[in-house]
Amino acid sequence: MRRYVAGRLLQAAIVILLVTTVTFVLVHLAPGDPIAVALERPGVTESVRQQWRAEFGLDRPIAEQYVRWLGNAARGELGFSFSFRRPVRDVIADALPRTVLLVGLALVLSFAVGIVAAVLQSERPDGPRDRWIGRVLLVLYSMPDFWLALVVLLVFAYRVPLFPPSGIVDPVLHDYLPPGGRALDRLRHLVLPVSTLTLLSTAAIARYQRSALVEVMPSDWMRTALAKGLSWRRAVRRHALRNALLPSITLAGLYLPALAAGSLFVEKVFSWPGMGLVTANAIGARDYPLVTAGVLVTSVAVALGSLVADLAAAIADPRIRVR
Amino acid sequence: MRHTLRRARHRAACWPIAAYAALALAGCTDVRQPAGQQTAGPADVGGTMVVATPAEPTTMLPALQGTIIEKEITDLLFDRLADIGNDLNTVGDKGFVPQLAERWDWGPDSTWIAFHLNPKARWHDGVPVRASDVRYSVQLIKDPTFGSPALPLVTNIDSVSVRDSLTAVAYFHRHTPEQFYDLVYQVSIVPEHVLHNTPPAQLKTAEVARRGIGSGRFRLVHWEPGKRIELVADTANYRGRAKLDRIVYTPTPDFNTAVTRLFSGDADFFEQLRPENLARLSGDTARRAVAYSSLQYAYVAFNTTDPAHRGLPHPIFGDRAVRRALTMAVDRRAMLHNVFDTLGLALYGPFPRAMPVADTTLPQLPYDTVRARAVLDSAGWIAGTDGIRVKNGRRLEFSLTSPVSSAARHQYAVLLQNALRRVGASVKIDEVDFGGFLAKQSGRTFDAELALYGTDPSVSGFKQSWSTAGVGPDGSNFPSYSNPTVDALLDSATTTFDPARTRAYARRAFETIIEDAPGIWLYEPPTIAGIHRRIHTTPMRADAYWAGMADWWIPASERTARDRIGLRPTP
Repeated sequence: MRRYVAGRLLQAAIVILLVTTVTFVLVHLAPGDPIAVALERPGVTESVRQQWRAEFGLDRPIAEQYVRWLGNAARGELGFSFSFRRPVRDVIADALPRTVLLVGLALVLSFAVGIVAAVLQSERPDGPRDRWIGRVLLVLYSMPDFWLALVVLLVFAYRVPLFPPSGIVDPVLHDYLPPGGRALDRLRHLVLPVSTLTLLSTAAIARYQRSALVEVMPSDWMRTALAKGLSWRRAVRRHALRNALLPSITLAGLYLPALAAGSLFVEKVFSWPGMGLVTANAIGARDYPLVTAGVLVTSVAVALGSLVADLAAAIADPRIRVR
Repeated sequence: MRHTLRRARHRAACWPIAAYAALALAGCTDVRQPAGQQTAGPADVGGTMVVATPAEPTTMLPALQGTIIEKEITDLLFDRLADIGNDLNTVGDKGFVPQLAERWDWGPDSTWIAFHLNPKARWHDGVPVRASDVRYSVQLIKDPTFGSPALPLVTNIDSVSVRDSLTAVAYFHRHTPEQFYDLVYQVSIVPEHVLHNTPPAQLKTAEVARRGIGSGRFRLVHWEPGKRIELVADTANYRGRAKLDRIVYTPTPDFNTAVTRLFSGDADFFEQLRPENLARLSGDTARRAVAYSSLQYAYVAFNTTDPAHRGLPHPIFGDRAVRRALTMAVDRRAMLHNVFDTLGLALYGPFPRAMPVADTTLPQLPYDTVRARAVLDSAGWIAGTDGIRVKNGRRLEFSLTSPVSSAARHQYAVLLQNALRRVGASVKIDEVDFGGFLAKQSGRTFDAELALYGTDPSVSGFKQSWSTAGVGPDGSNFPSYSNPTVDALLDSATTTFDPARTRAYARRAFETIIEDAPGIWLYEPPTIAGIHRRIHTTPMRADAYWAGMADWWIPASERTARDRIGLRPTP
């Protein structure tokens, strides 16, 4: 097992190196540069921009910039963000926890709702309830995330203004609220983005989970459990779900990187300053160090996510356990 | 033809009226009509304004600001020696309003000006503002290691000396009409005692550049990147405390979200409403629209040099006759109406209306497709089998670069493509992201581009955009347009001390440029802010709508929960 994990970690390191290298090269090849965007105001002369480029080493050959970046990254130094004029490490330290909170909550809810929906569907496959839930899930599955986010925003923040439209907390009142009020304020700001992400992820989870449940339902051991007098729900909880968890475990592994990468559109629409929004803005601003660091964090999460998923699957299913 | 032109001129005169009538119908206020303006009473001090802003600043040091949002916030935090007046005059010191300098004396030969500082002026940390701060501010901007974007604008300032603690004397290389403007408009005064321990070359990345300790009527109390920037009234300010208690800037990068925040009451102010948002304001009892002037104008810039072979004329736009023909092929009024309905303002040349030397009576190239075709024929561009003209084996085909983020320019690109197709020109729309657009613009690697340019109010600023001196990489003459007559006229305009003659020279320069058609003058973008009705504004200056923000107020009777926080320190 240790050898397997070590091997996977080595593979992950190679993949991360490749991904960040390709990102570094691509973002440098894109037209424009961070200084042109940072000093975009009319009247700023090209010679001033050129001076800034020289100071930040952006006038050096791309290979030299890459070697320097790699050396710094190996020491944990991710560079200086041009679009924030702060160390990249600080920018990510601010954004990452916000994304983990948003996406983490959404994932927990997605799996909870998705599995419950799958259970309800699998009770009578192709029955009216299965068909209706399936239709709703299909609609949700087909929705573009930015569109759903905008609809949720317009409906619940503007037409029926139940929740705040954006941000993490109330920009004015939050600091003046009592502790309970602050917690409530934070929760209210979480409702719309978390709901949107939950709706978007639930459909896929439910569909995979339903298929797995429908597959295990006719099994002999399920028939035996029901024959012993277990209620249907108890039999599902104790036996069927455990045997049908593999798709959810695999999906959880696939979704884990989102904890680090964030959701670009949902974060943008709800002005949630997490990794998705920060990275997207960094791409627009040609903020090379921040884009590369964002990709680095995401690729680490992808590698770890798939490793965790494989290990969890192996634990859950002895048939695929590594010898 | 004369009838058509007269009708066009009549319509031009009516357009702004129609636009403001539309605004009025939508429940909007036009701040350019000050009649009946209310003023704040002594009880009307207090309240909070939440601003939804599309971008976030990266520095709080005015000499390093490179974006509009950075200018806006640093302008609120830092004072100048004097501020430009509402008429935006840049010649001499007429109309300038004292800020840190309560008065100034000109030297006998006008190559120096002594500024007498207000003895009551204090930095936000309580330290008095002194003449040495003025000297340091100028030295900092002029320090080549500092890399201030404003450096090229202060080249006429030689130095500043300290006569006494409250008198700073600025010396200039030459006596010029805009020397006063060059110093007071381009240089915000920064605190020497806060910054001097950090070498200028390191200030770009230094934490001290984020502290925002200025002498303005607002001071910075919080800056949480991505979340909010909170300014509060400096209650002991020498110019009087700001009427609002607090302004909170909240970055909202998505346009639709910003609009929703405004309409849901989450934000009080958003400066970039689009015409299509105005319908929502009709019947809205909580919000209103405020139209204000700006110094922006949009035009099609024809690159007169060949992007593939720098130094050679562009194979299409190097020919003045072709540029004129393409301009005449475009029905600019119909396009303006199509894109902005009644809210667009026609552009009459390379200048916005708010520029002091603007002249909207200048003769225009007419919309005349028959003449456009004839001119192209005589220039040797003959229609091919597919309708696209050809000359010496080259098709009349070019790319029109536009930033993908601009909805208005996207619409214009499509309309222009159709209009020019009708006279035998093939336009390929090249939509790129903002970074790519800037790269093409500064590298002059486009054929034609839909440029939106924000000029400064001075003629010397205009010169950077349209004289031969602005053709190089340091200028903003994106079409690389060059005409010695225009150069001479602009030289004269920037060296005369008589404002009337400045206008006359500028008018002749504009006329020549319009005749040469280095671009198609399209529109001034409608600048319409959405604002909560409880917030009362003062007239907004075209170069900086925020200039009077410290005098905006919320009547005591109209305050909401967020207004009643007062100036308590944040727990």
